[in-house]
Amino acid sequence: MITIKNLVKHYDNHVALNHIDLSVGKGIVLGLLGPNGAGKTTLVSILNGLVDFQEGEIEIFGMPLNRELHAIRKRSSFIPQSLALYDNLTVLENLRFFAGIQKISGNDLHHNIDYALTVNRLYPLRDQKAATLSGGQKRRLNIAIGLLNNPELLYFDEPTAGIDPESRNAILETVRSFKNDGKTVVYTSHYMPEIENICDDVAIIDHGRIICQGSLETMLQGEKGDSVLVELLHASKAQLSELADNHKGVEVIDAATLMTHHLSAREMGALLTALEAEHIALKQIRYGTTNLESLFLRLTSQGSCDV
Amino acid sequence: MFRAMLLKEFLLLLRDRHALAALFIMPSIFILIMSLALKDTLGSDRVLSSYAVVDQDNTAQSGRLQSFLRDNSALQVHEVIITNAAQQQQALNGALHFVLSIPQGFAQNLGKEQDGPSLLQLTVASDVKPEVLAFFQAELTKGIMRLRLEKMQAELAPFLPDVAQRLEAMDFAGDGLVAVHFNGMKANEQPTSTQQSVPSWIVFGMFFVIIPMSTVFINERKQNTLMRMSAMNISVPVLFAGKIAPYMVINQIQVWLMIVVGIFVVPLFGGDALTLGHSITGLFMVSLGLSLAAIGTSVLIAVMAGTVEQATTIGGIINILLGAIGGIMVPKFYMPQAMQDFANVSPMSWGLEGFLDIFLRGLGVEAVIMESLALTGFGAGLLLVAGMVFSSKMKRGA
Repeated sequence: MITIKNLVKHYDNHVALNHIDLSVGKGIVLGLLGPNGAGKTTLVSILNGLVDFQEGEIEIFGMPLNRELHAIRKRSSFIPQSLALYDNLTVLENLRFFAGIQKISGNDLHHNIDYALTVNRLYPLRDQKAATLSGGQKRRLNIAIGLLNNPELLYFDEPTAGIDPESRNAILETVRSFKNDGKTVVYTSHYMPEIENICDDVAIIDHGRIICQGSLETMLQGEKGDSVLVELLHASKAQLSELADNHKGVEVIDAATLMTHHLSAREMGALLTALEAEHIALKQIRYGTTNLESLFLRLTSQGSCDV
Repeated sequence: MFRAMLLKEFLLLLRDRHALAALFIMPSIFILIMSLALKDTLGSDRVLSSYAVVDQDNTAQSGRLQSFLRDNSALQVHEVIITNAAQQQQALNGALHFVLSIPQGFAQNLGKEQDGPSLLQLTVASDVKPEVLAFFQAELTKGIMRLRLEKMQAELAPFLPDVAQRLEAMDFAGDGLVAVHFNGMKANEQPTSTQQSVPSWIVFGMFFVIIPMSTVFINERKQNTLMRMSAMNISVPVLFAGKIAPYMVINQIQVWLMIVVGIFVVPLFGGDALTLGHSITGLFMVSLGLSLAAIGTSVLIAVMAGTVEQATTIGGIINILLGAIGGIMVPKFYMPQAMQDFANVSPMSWGLEGFLDIFLRGLGVEAVIMESLALTGFGAGLLLVAGMVFSSKMKRGA
């Protein structure tokens, strides 16, 4: 569905995307993870033909992006992070306007608007001005606008940023329904549980590079191994770095967390003794890295993927 | 697609009370106020100056001279008792422009050769305009000439009765002596303050689209609705066309609303009614050209400005500057020649001249072709620059 080869984008002297290779299969929900400024929004903007790039090749639906942009856009939809809608128009007026500029008319117009309203649970709010909607309802309207052309491919740029849990769940459910309908989704987010919840594949982007890509299941399985998370109280990163240097298989995740890999009971005992000697109190020890968050933190701190 | 864009712009505008006030109510009020405020300035019965008379001669001739002055509606006599220099100074510091002293011996000296002191003494307030002084002096000279002719007539009557009779029958001051016809107007028609004011404030009002248009545009850019439209295959020319068309319609509504105010509302308040001129086509040509110029300015400001606050401040300043330079605030005929020449750099001046050709000078399409083309070219040029800047910013992701 999407194939990106050797993509490079820079703004003056700043390299935003550095030789990106990425592929997304049909019907897949890809989670695009990365810290702020990593290049997620730039990548999604390029895929929508909104921002130029300097090098590389992009194919979507088997068509080259630079030559078939219009045809590609007709079959895809971009749901931006900001609320790209009109506060002074009602829900229905917003939908009619965005349908109108896409030349959707007749039965398609009614059908697609009904679908967008229903999927996003906005039907009872259709005559309400967007300005009077809650943050979550506005986010849902933002998504509803993106469904008007009945797209096969959807790009979500952090669609749940800053909204209440109920609206977040509603949006996640909507994305799951797209997956069930066979649509392909590229979903950027900061929220790891969301990605774990809805995505088939994950690509982690940092400093303009894809540092890891694969199926979520494989990534998390690879992480499990013999890893142990040691969570601490009252430690400093400098203390932990010194400990990690002196103990093989120990890695610093942050100022309060160590991760160990394949330690024997004796090695683990030595580590705990060293912690005690440094007067660092233990908060919790748990087995394995079973969540995406710790994988993400580890990968973005070490800068490459070994799973 | 255009229908959707038109409908959206209208809905946004109709729900924005401030924009409606700026676009429709404010220019209408301007027209009403300025037409009434300038009513006397252009009317033939306007009072140009006020004066008082100190008559030390008290003869039939000095009375006749005062009677001539009273017959002129542009001169307003004030009954003030002035017996000394202090009272005279006080009067001239107040409402009076002139104090006319008719010295003793005025009647006697009328027929004598002018080699002694002047027949009349005129003291003038320091803030009197030179043209008003010249007018008053001319009226006094005319009065003296009439009195001298009357005196000659009386002296000739016993010897040359026919000549004296012919002289008596002659009109020396009546309106019938000079027939006045204003260019482009019907007989007995004259320019009114409404004919002068309405074109100015139509031009000014049309440029006020800068504020709502740039506000909507910048909000669309900030909220990424423009970017979203772009992702929906809306090209920059189509995007701009979607802005131009609705605001051209809005400008036309403005023009005709202000014309309606000039025709129907101004007379209700005692002002002169606006007359349309003879060329509706010419009126459309100028107003469409002006519309494009105003929209081009708006779009360029919206594209260049970073925030709504910047756009409204810059837009407001540009509007006022163009208006001041272009003869909207101060009519060009009040300006010195250098300023009148400089006024031609303002597109508002081109539009104003076009409207004055239609409303005031009664001209037609041929007269406004140049102005319309210049305005259209100006607007198109600005839109082209705005399009290039906008495309570049969008592609760079700025």
